[in-house]
Amino acid sequence: MNFVDIAWIIPLVPLAAFLLIGFFGHRTPEGGGYIAVGAAAIAFILSALVGYEVLSGTHGDFYETSVAWLTISEGVVLNFGLYLDNLAVLMMMFASFISMLIFIYSIGYMHDQGDRKRRYYTKVSLFLTAMLGLVMASNYLQMFIFWEIVGLCSYLLIGFWGFRHPKGDQASAAAASAAKKAFLVTRMGDVALLAGLFVLLNAFGSLDYSHMFSAAAIAQVDTSTLALGSLLIFGGVIGKSAQFPLHDWLPDAMEGPTTVSALIHAATMVKAGVYLTARSFPIFVQSTDVMLFIAIVGGVTAFYAATMALNNMNIKRVLAYSTLSQLGFMILALGAGGYLVAQGIADGTAVTGSKAFGYTAGVFHMMNHAFFKALLFLGAGSVIHAVGTEDMRKMGGLRKRMSITSITMLIGTLSIAGIPVFAGFWSKDFVLESVMVVAEGSGTAAAIFLLLYILALATAFMTAFYMFRLWYMTFGGEEGEASKHCHGESEKVMTYPLIVLSVFAALSGFLILFGFNQALTFNWAGPGSEFVVGGGGYEMLDVLDKIFTSPFAYLAIVVALAGFYAAYRMYNVRDVDPGRFNKDGESTLYQLLQRRYYFPQFYDAIALKLTYPIALGVEEVDRKAVDGTVDGIANSLTGGAQMLRRIQTGFVQTYAAFVVGGLLVLFAIIYLIGYIGGL
Amino acid sequence: MIPLEMFLGLSAILFAIGAYGVLTKKNGIVVLMCIELMLNAANINFIAFAAFFNDVAGQVFVIMAIAVAAAEVAVGVAILLNLYKTSGTTDLEEINVLRW
Repeated sequence: MNFVDIAWIIPLVPLAAFLLIGFFGHRTPEGGGYIAVGAAAIAFILSALVGYEVLSGTHGDFYETSVAWLTISEGVVLNFGLYLDNLAVLMMMFASFISMLIFIYSIGYMHDQGDRKRRYYTKVSLFLTAMLGLVMASNYLQMFIFWEIVGLCSYLLIGFWGFRHPKGDQASAAAASAAKKAFLVTRMGDVALLAGLFVLLNAFGSLDYSHMFSAAAIAQVDTSTLALGSLLIFGGVIGKSAQFPLHDWLPDAMEGPTTVSALIHAATMVKAGVYLTARSFPIFVQSTDVMLFIAIVGGVTAFYAATMALNNMNIKRVLAYSTLSQLGFMILALGAGGYLVAQGIADGTAVTGSKAFGYTAGVFHMMNHAFFKALLFLGAGSVIHAVGTEDMRKMGGLRKRMSITSITMLIGTLSIAGIPVFAGFWSKDFVLESVMVVAEGSGTAAAIFLLLYILALATAFMTAFYMFRLWYMTFGGEEGEASKHCHGESEKVMTYPLIVLSVFAALSGFLILFGFNQALTFNWAGPGSEFVVGGGGYEMLDVLDKIFTSPFAYLAIVVALAGFYAAYRMYNVRDVDPGRFNKDGESTLYQLLQRRYYFPQFYDAIALKLTYPIALGVEEVDRKAVDGTVDGIANSLTGGAQMLRRIQTGFVQTYAAFVVGGLLVLFAIIYLIGYIGGL
Repeated sequence: MIPLEMFLGLSAILFAIGAYGVLTKKNGIVVLMCIELMLNAANINFIAFAAFFNDVAGQVFVIMAIAVAAAEVAVGVAILLNLYKTSGTTDLEEINVLRW
């Protein structure tokens, strides 16, 4: 028996946990927490078995099984099934693994939440179900259904404290409004995504990955239709992965419990957009313009979000901006790699080796980021749990009191900052490398990519700076006012997941050296059998050679170290006062960053100045014209009935008179017909 | 022998009187009596044709109809009696509680 034959069980395990906890969670210890952990563990073990089988190539490029679900018209069938390739199993493995660790951590973190624990574990189990369903789906429609369910879970969990918040009513209102914002802003992207699916369904007559990604099917579709569908699908990515300009919901989403931020808004759900971009690669790469657009959105988001992390004082918000920025990196890498592939398709030349590397870089960074960002969020959660505040100015000096948290978080910081040998170094270097490869070309696009490279390099500097700033403000220096209340290290159920994650955050980069890169390669045989993209990964030595002979790799390291040094001087040695650069928080730039480039105000202005008057006008039309018509019809009917009901006198004799009269008339007619007929 | 037309004429006159009574009389008892008149007009037709055609089926029908009519009158009078008990009248125009 092959493990892929039972792969359909994987999402059903957390689903069973969802139902079990939902109905009976309050009767089990920890509000069903152990059930959720068990379900996630089973899902992970099965995912790992399936993953091993698929990654080892037992089933060729992908394994697919599906049943017909809806028949729309002749030949257009929507299926429901599984599509397991390297990308899908990679997502399955790290989503279930990180979920398992976060659920374990939650047992400690959510311990004193009382009756709410059942609600929490119910929702996270549903989330895991949907996340697994999303990556295992065999077609876009099925993916879209789960895409919406993860969005729903995100909404529910951000608003987890939407009533009776431990910190009072104002915090409740903030949580509820953040949940609403996340739901509405991502919904804008989802509408675009749905429109994209209509365009593609119309063009391909199917939404199955296996059909749509075949070169023969793509060749039959008009390129401008493909580009339109691609851009609309990417609209969904912009919403879900919080890219510019729909990024603003993610920082607000930090109102949820920290475990939720780690699980949904760092490690898994926001990766769904990156996953969708990687998944749709065969369609996206048919147009260089689409890929250029994707790269620009990614590069701008990476830079833009990183700037806002520079001066934020809230530990979770800094991590949220950092997540935005890293998601931008992934999208940038995919865009850069895809741009070269698209160019190759346009020119009819093969794209192999380092030119097809952007895809690998993006997916690899997605995996590494899941580990180190989950670690950082859980570490931040551990700190918040201990000191009871999210304000970093009140922390400081926690290194002695919370040694395990501080060390694991330091590993996460080193990893995300891109210090060599830690996981983040490898993938971030690949991202920069893949952008540089395009920038080395000629033409306008190359110039744009050079600009994006500079932005990415600046982002790398800022990443190192704000992450070390975070670490020093929290763990270094003198004890802040909140630190004095700290009861010491968190319990083991919280620190053990941190330790496991820190091992991965430190070492997962090495996976690329041991053939894992093969799993991250995008293979696509284009029209005309001679044209091939990707085609196998790198050998271990090639990768090392590539990294350590490229001057740009050293540049990236120097930039990261510069960021570290700046943070070290400002926030550890403190001989450089950060106030010198921003007039003690009075400068325009500082205020601009604090106010998130006025984006929330911008959203509000759109809502109040544009949407609200339109809504009022529509309401007027609805009430006067539409309701008027409907009411008019109803009124004329009731009025007519009022008059007609007078016929029903209620006197039997009147009715009898009608019967007799009617009969007489009938007889007369029959007689007349007979008389005329007789003539 | 009395010709068939005589019977049919009697029957038609009886039926017309009954129909007139049903349509115009206000007293419920009188209306019931008029209905009986109409039924018996039909019965006379049956008997007349049975005799005329020498067919016994008509007589059987009439006996059946008389039995049913007896039962029907019993029910009708019982309803009227109850109506009289609750509303104090048998005037059909007074009995209008279920009207609009």
